Amino acid sequence: MALASAGTPIIINKMKLQSIGKELFEVKKAYEDRVLVIIRLNGGNDGLNTVIPLDQYGNLTNQRSNVLVPQGSVLSLTPDIGLHPVMTGMQNLFNDGKLGIIQNVGYPDQNRSHFRSMDIWSSGLINANPDTGWMGRYFESAYPPTYPTDYPNATYPHPFAISMGYQVSETCQGIMANWSHAVNDPFTNYNLTASSVLNDGSIYGGHMEYLATLIDQANAYGADINAAATAGNTMSTLYDPASQLATQLQYVAQMISGGLETKVYILNINGFDTHDSQVLQTDTTQGTHADLLKELSDAVAAFQDDLNLLGLENRVAGMTFSEFGRQVASNASYGTDHGDAAPLFLWGTCLSTNIMGSNPVIGSTVVNQEAIPMEFDFRDIYASILKDWFGAPAQDIQSMFEHSVTFYPLLDFCNVGISEIELDKDEALIYPNPCYTNSTIRFLSDGEWVKIDVYDMNGQIVLNVLDSNISQGSHDVPMETSGLPAGEYLVKVTKESGSVNEPLIKVH
Amino acid sequence: MPLTPYTGPWTKAEAAHLLRRTTFGPTNQQILDAVTNGLSATVTALLQIPAITEPVAFHPDETIVPFGSSWVNAVYPSGAVQAQSVEVARQWSLGAWAMERINKEQMTIAEKLCLFWQNHWAASPGFDARATYDYHALIRQYALGNFRQFAKDMTINPNMLLFLNGATNNVFSPNENYARELLELFTIGKGPQIGPGDYSNYTEDDVAAAAKILTGYYVDGLRSDTLTDVTAVYNAILHDTSTKTMSYHFNNAVIPNNGANEYADLIDVIFLQDEVAYHICRKLYRYFVCFDITPTIETTVITEMATTLISNNYEILPVLTELFNSAHFYDITVRGAIIRGPLETLYAMMNSTGTEPAFNLATDLEMQLNIYWLAEIMGQAYASPPSVAGWPAYYQEPSFSRLWANSTTLKTRFDVSSFLTIYTGIPVNGDFLKLDVLNFVDNLSLPPDAPTVIDDMCDVFCPKGVDVVQKTILQSILTNGQPAFEWTMQYNDYLANPGNPVFEDPVRIRVELVLAKLFQMPEFHAM
Repeated sequence: MALASAGTPIIINKMKLQSIGKELFEVKKAYEDRVLVIIRLNGGNDGLNTVIPLDQYGNLTNQRSNVLVPQGSVLSLTPDIGLHPVMTGMQNLFNDGKLGIIQNVGYPDQNRSHFRSMDIWSSGLINANPDTGWMGRYFESAYPPTYPTDYPNATYPHPFAISMGYQVSETCQGIMANWSHAVNDPFTNYNLTASSVLNDGSIYGGHMEYLATLIDQANAYGADINAAATAGNTMSTLYDPASQLATQLQYVAQMISGGLETKVYILNINGFDTHDSQVLQTDTTQGTHADLLKELSDAVAAFQDDLNLLGLENRVAGMTFSEFGRQVASNASYGTDHGDAAPLFLWGTCLSTNIMGSNPVIGSTVVNQEAIPMEFDFRDIYASILKDWFGAPAQDIQSMFEHSVTFYPLLDFCNVGISEIELDKDEALIYPNPCYTNSTIRFLSDGEWVKIDVYDMNGQIVLNVLDSNISQGSHDVPMETSGLPAGEYLVKVTKESGSVNEPLIKVH
Repeated sequence: MPLTPYTGPWTKAEAAHLLRRTTFGPTNQQILDAVTNGLSATVTALLQIPAITEPVAFHPDETIVPFGSSWVNAVYPSGAVQAQSVEVARQWSLGAWAMERINKEQMTIAEKLCLFWQNHWAASPGFDARATYDYHALIRQYALGNFRQFAKDMTINPNMLLFLNGATNNVFSPNENYARELLELFTIGKGPQIGPGDYSNYTEDDVAAAAKILTGYYVDGLRSDTLTDVTAVYNAILHDTSTKTMSYHFNNAVIPNNGANEYADLIDVIFLQDEVAYHICRKLYRYFVCFDITPTIETTVITEMATTLISNNYEILPVLTELFNSAHFYDITVRGAIIRGPLETLYAMMNSTGTEPAFNLATDLEMQLNIYWLAEIMGQAYASPPSVAGWPAYYQEPSFSRLWANSTTLKTRFDVSSFLTIYTGIPVNGDFLKLDVLNFVDNLSLPPDAPTVIDDMCDVFCPKGVDVVQKTILQSILTNGQPAFEWTMQYNDYLANPGNPVFEDPVRIRVELVLAKLFQMPEFHAM
């Protein structure tokens, strides 16, 4: 699968060459292929020691000198914002345009209980009984709501969501069942015994039906998950085998590349409840929190590297969340107590934002129990992701939440040009453009020989994209651009019915 | 008004229901004895906490006390590396000990209650195994005792002081961790947020005030090479001597400086609120009866339990005595309403078949430790709940005990039950732990009779039995598809030739196959 070097004819995935007649179906298909990876930072991440507001550094020293990392060690992203010194992986992603930071995410009247606040974040509901998860409600709105009774089936053969580990995720709790499937190791063979029991309407009867359905599902999904993981590939050498998070992300890459049609993967990393010994007394750049951030940053960087090498970057986006941030002032135990809002990370090649929001304002003196006020409601972040990434209709999204939803452009970079564009014979469409490591060209064929090459500004061919007989209709062909230096290029589509030239800009 | 006593039929079904909820797994004979003894006498017998022995050293890394001796009052070696190695050996000793307690339980609610309280005061082990042991000893001491005094003693228990940062909570820098969980989880419980920082039963200001009240304690003796115990120590310099005022939820109670005893004053103030009784009674109800607290259950059963608890000065024993004697406990709607947790699954297989490892001390304890780790894989590491709220299956709406079962953990259950029956068994030091199925079948009501064998098995393991079709399948596995009399002949041959594997093995294998199938049926996984 190592087809990355420039100059080699590149056909990454022959499936993409199938002629697709209806544009509407095509747009939907683009959304259908997308994958969201969610990493839960369990315990309440100290946002102020993760994304550090450098312009507030002086006041931070007044408030939390015993946990604050030295100013000079902070990894600057902009003159005013930096990352914790261990987060080199995410710094690189940011510099490549693949990491987004949303500042000060929380919700009104922040609740500082782990359990209640995690319920709120998992459900996306603040007032109502949190008996469904936000992804669970999305799945119920977007897919036949009979789940799990009629699943898997021919149209939806794979689990909608996979929760890595032994437990299903509350974010995927639906009315009838949880839409996520717990997978600890996708390479395990499943061979479970089924049973059928009638539900007589009692609690016991409900349990029996639930267990019987689970047993059936474990059979059906288990084999497909196993097959996908086995067929899949992983190419990055950056994964740390000692990190559970990295190992699980590597499994995810293997399942995606092996063709599993699962849309959401949920991962978890424990230990962010750093009431004490968040940092080493002798070195604030080390300690529990630094270890956690390093594991997160390295694992995400490895995963993104893998997706790049596998040619899957434009299909996958990721986000982190945590139940709350921590208080501005540290405590005497070299730790921090439960707080309010905190930054949230997004990553991927389809980001349409790099840093959204402003630095929190830190006061010069300690105010008891003070934390960071909310700038963005996390429910609006969820809503925007559902809109941008899965193409969910705005009115459907609104119905999943209690408040009046505000949409932000977060992940719509790759959507540009996909929808509502019908080509003429003498046109071609390149998206995304400008591009990073991958792009796609759309063109029309009369059922003819088509040759597509990328030229540099000196007129030299730098990439052969396609050279074959192509059936009639509209086609989307991926272009692997990671081997190209940043700059301007010309993509030339040569065909018997007429040639087309389109400019291409490669960034970074 | 007390709960209405149960006066209905007292048969194997009711007795087995009581024993499944109050122990990890009754044998058929224990169920029959309970039927004979009657409801009231059985409840009285169950509600006793027997004395137990201390955990003993069995791992070679224990370098201080001899093999087979208790280490709970022994020092640690000098040197951090050596002490850490001994700590791991002691934690393993504790884990094996806890499992052995469950495996060797008598007719008593003790082990089920210890798990309940360990889920309630959900402090994980760490730091020093002696402190972890003391924490368990405290739980056992108060398992049926006075909840108010329990809360007081737990507040200054060294393991808890360490776990929720009470040991670093001082006047110079109050740490709210324990104060918050004391209110939110351990005593009065959290209600809906009804105002800024106001959680119906207490406020953020109460958390801050309680944190100040609790200042002044630290922990001494951790991994000491001279001190034989871990202790909580009060230092007046660390204590906040200001006068603290609680919110309107506590009638604006004023708690003046009372030094080392001020924590007890706080507990007394909290326990003046009846909601404390309601909160713990809801947890007891969900653990022993059913997750579903409807408005009717709340105003009848929960209210009556709470009333009993308050009128008995917060003694737990009268509440459970009343509950297990009540008509509601035997109501058909709550039978089978709980999905077994990992430990209940594993030790139902072990205890109901009368299986205990009997090789040698080290092997037996390592086998118990293996079961500990199997339970951990299934989602329940004894003494190490995932958070201070305990295991989500005990509190997380709306799924509750369903959270124990998903396709991954079910597969593990099936794998383990297969290993304990039809596969090789759990291997330790060249020995293999399998269920003692011959002992099991020999002690059923009428072992040579195949239909009775299947009936007894279903009575023991399945809260509402299994239907006739499933029983036919099970019986055909037992008889290997032959008529029932073939089993009778096989079993009688085995009885007539004790110790002869030619006759013993076929009986053993048939029973193992039936149990392997039974353990993979949904009916087994509820209780």
